[in-house]
Amino acid sequence: MIEVNDLRKTFWVHKKAPGLKASIRSLFVRRKIPKHAVRGASFHIGEGEIVGLIGANGAGKTTLVKMLSGVIHPTSGEARVLGHVPWERSNELRRRIALIMGQKAQLWWDLPAADCFLLLREIYQIPEPEYRNNLAKLAGMLSIEDELQIQVRRLSLGERMKMELIAALLHSPRVVYLDEPTIGLDLNAQKAIRDFILEYRRERAPAMILTSHYMEDIERLCERIIIIREGELVYDGPLRKVVEEYATHKIVTAHLKRNGTLTIAEPEVSRCGEVVTCDGAQVKLRVPRARVPEAAQALLHHYEVADITIEEPEIGDIIAKIMNARATPAESETT
Amino acid sequence: MNGRLFRMLISLEARKLMSYRGDFWITAVANLIATVVVHWFLWRAIFSTTGAETLRGFTFEAIMVYLIGVNLIGRVVRGADLQLEIAGEIYDGGLSRFLLYPTRYVAFKYAQHLGAILPEVVQMFLFAGGLIAIFGLPADAGFSVGTIAMTIPALWVGNLLYFLLSVPLQFVAFWADNVWSLGVLLRFISMLLGGAMLPLAMFPEEAAHALRWLPFVACYEFPVRVAMGELTGAEYLVGLAAGLGWCGVVALASVPVWRKGQLGYTGVGI
Repeated sequence: MIEVNDLRKTFWVHKKAPGLKASIRSLFVRRKIPKHAVRGASFHIGEGEIVGLIGANGAGKTTLVKMLSGVIHPTSGEARVLGHVPWERSNELRRRIALIMGQKAQLWWDLPAADCFLLLREIYQIPEPEYRNNLAKLAGMLSIEDELQIQVRRLSLGERMKMELIAALLHSPRVVYLDEPTIGLDLNAQKAIRDFILEYRRERAPAMILTSHYMEDIERLCERIIIIREGELVYDGPLRKVVEEYATHKIVTAHLKRNGTLTIAEPEVSRCGEVVTCDGAQVKLRVPRARVPEAAQALLHHYEVADITIEEPEIGDIIAKIMNARATPAESETT
Repeated sequence: MNGRLFRMLISLEARKLMSYRGDFWITAVANLIATVVVHWFLWRAIFSTTGAETLRGFTFEAIMVYLIGVNLIGRVVRGADLQLEIAGEIYDGGLSRFLLYPTRYVAFKYAQHLGAILPEVVQMFLFAGGLIAIFGLPADAGFSVGTIAMTIPALWVGNLLYFLLSVPLQFVAFWADNVWSLGVLLRFISMLLGGAMLPLAMFPEEAAHALRWLPFVACYEFPVRVAMGELTGAEYLVGLAAGLGWCGVVALASVPVWRKGQLGYTGVGI
């Protein structure tokens, strides 16, 4: 449903030194520098897939989403969404896609949501029975039926986001871009939105691209993720595989028996792995994956262990590490 | 864009504006009083100084009727011109959502613009009616139901033309951060050269003749003269056709500006 091949976007931005002199100079001469927001993105997304697009601020996620929704033009490269070039903005394509931006209200501020939806029905030419059916269903799924008549600006942030979701999905799009849909919401509202997205996916099977800084969004909704760093896709694959590929260590935690005679000494256990914490009755070690069985065996052998746990590091930590790692000179183009 | 959506946008925008009742009345009344007072003192002084009964064919009463008429009509023609909504949406990224809709952006904006002038139309009729009730019908103005009916298409052409003139200027926001000054410039130039500040007959004859070939006349002088019953049927039709012709020219001129501009649109942020 979404095919992207070597898509690139370069913005030219002004650079100005601080101070009055530089400001005056900039009236006549401006120095422009290229900012490579997306550098050769290629991927494919099929029906019913929710793909998490993850990256630090300014990594190029939103630029990529904007190109795929046709809002901005790429500098080079190709993309097809439902067989159309998105930035040509054919009406046929625009009737089948939706973009939800958590940071930008798309509804009419001064109108009740119900009026906004009527307007969207006309814009998308949704047949009346389909419109009524979709609205009832979406409002029911989000438990927001009672707020439909209230002016959008008088709704809470969570309610507004729910209305934004309804507005974006009323015309049953086949491709949905969700740009930080849970930003700024409380935990309950975040959960409600996540549950809704999952239910919507199960019912309608659209292709979805989700960008979010909340790991819980990614973990709950996405089986596949794309990590973008300084405009470059550095990982595209199953979420769980990130751990295998990038987590070089596991966390081994051992708790000693309460009445045991031995206590743990840091120098002794440091042979098993890097000591994260050690308080005599409990030790937490960071152990290379290949040496985990050996380390666990050593702990069980030398101490009276009541409980031992072996954990993968947090996915969020792994992804943050990948995102924050500097691109090597070979990876990076000169900017 | 389908007619139903167009009508719905007009209705929504009008309802939205009329819900701000205070703003609706204060701005309009203040503007009218200022116009009447300023012009009354100014032209009274001019007529007293020159000692003439008429100036270029205008009596004091006729010029007051013309200037009040052009003020009321001008508000309808311009609408909320200085709000520069298109430029604002380009600047703050609000344009993005319209680019996603399967509809034409400029048509969408024009429907909203028409909705926004509905309150001005209501005010125009109310104030004109009020002034006639207080001062009576001007002696030498040929107002009639017929001329009022003929004014409506002329007013619409003026409104469409002024909107289309502002569109390419607002598209400059694709490159510049602040295009407000261009909006002010358009308002000033159009009012000066379109006969809103003083009748074109007050200009030197050659200049007045040349100015009648420019688009601005269709925005101000033409609808006022239609309302005052000063034009023949043929002059009326030529005036309408000229206004519509200018609409076509300006619309065509906007296309390359839009095409070039939206290539560089960023939608705010990277």
